[in-house]
Amino acid sequence: MHDPGPGRMARRKIKPKLDVDSRALVGYDDDEPSAFASMLGGLIEANVRNHPEKERDFGSLKARVGIWVTDIDEGVTLDFKGGKLVVHNGLKPRRTLTIRTDADTVMSLSNLKIGLFGLPVYYDEVGRGVAFKLLQGKLRIEGLLPNVMTLNTVTRIFSVQ
Amino acid sequence: MAVKAFSNEWAKAFKDELNKSAIYKTAGKGWKWTVGLVVEAEPEKHFPEAKGIVLDLFDGEARDVTVGPASEAQKSDFVITAPYSRWKEVATKQLDATKGMLQGKLKLKGDLPTIVRYTKASQEMTECTTRVPVEWPDEK
Repeated sequence: MHDPGPGRMARRKIKPKLDVDSRALVGYDDDEPSAFASMLGGLIEANVRNHPEKERDFGSLKARVGIWVTDIDEGVTLDFKGGKLVVHNGLKPRRTLTIRTDADTVMSLSNLKIGLFGLPVYYDEVGRGVAFKLLQGKLRIEGLLPNVMTLNTVTRIFSVQ
Repeated sequence: MAVKAFSNEWAKAFKDELNKSAIYKTAGKGWKWTVGLVVEAEPEKHFPEAKGIVLDLFDGEARDVTVGPASEAQKSDFVITAPYSRWKEVATKQLDATKGMLQGKLKLKGDLPTIVRYTKASQEMTECTTRVPVEWPDEK
């Protein structure tokens, strides 16, 4: 009688095809992720699942990005591992980039439009607001100069526009 | 004249404030989902039963704002839940709603990219609640 179970077959490893719909894209390092960690993780996951162009960026990005919200004294570290994101409560060491700003600017960063060549748009109302905060020192980005491309990639993944 | 917190009169006043706001009219363009606000009971603050506020918002206009049971509000496309005293903090400008959500003081259910896209509209909605004079049950 034919055995319907999978049993052992030839010594050939079949790599299961991963697709963005079934993979868990975002994991949390802490047993109890903070509300901010859950929100950013959820936002990025929804963005990547709904936009193929963000999926490409997400698949290639390897960087540790810290975000510290100055007016609520809370932060997260987003550890992008090329197709997978691990979100940590708080700032963890060995970060590629660290963004320090207030809650409103975090929301504005996720509302930046993406323009030509996949670059964030800084000339519309939201973009000008973000640029102004940068000039005023109310938005600080540590590690920016050597990692401009990484920042652009993170912005594209993060943007809901 | 002050209206009782989260009463039908409050709902009407809130709807009127939303429809008077030019900022909300612009920022809410394209919005087409219902929003439920769940106000959890706090008997020690003289707010003995949970209430639900359903906001029927469409394209920058508040078509209807109704007060009913929490279970009705929970059926909305977006649901924001907090105890009575947190909502009071929001309505009296002691708590910024964006910060409250990031801190988990206001719990949000719904599609995150959509709500983030309408941050300005939701901030203006909060502003509108602060313009309604309210009689708070724990201040009698």
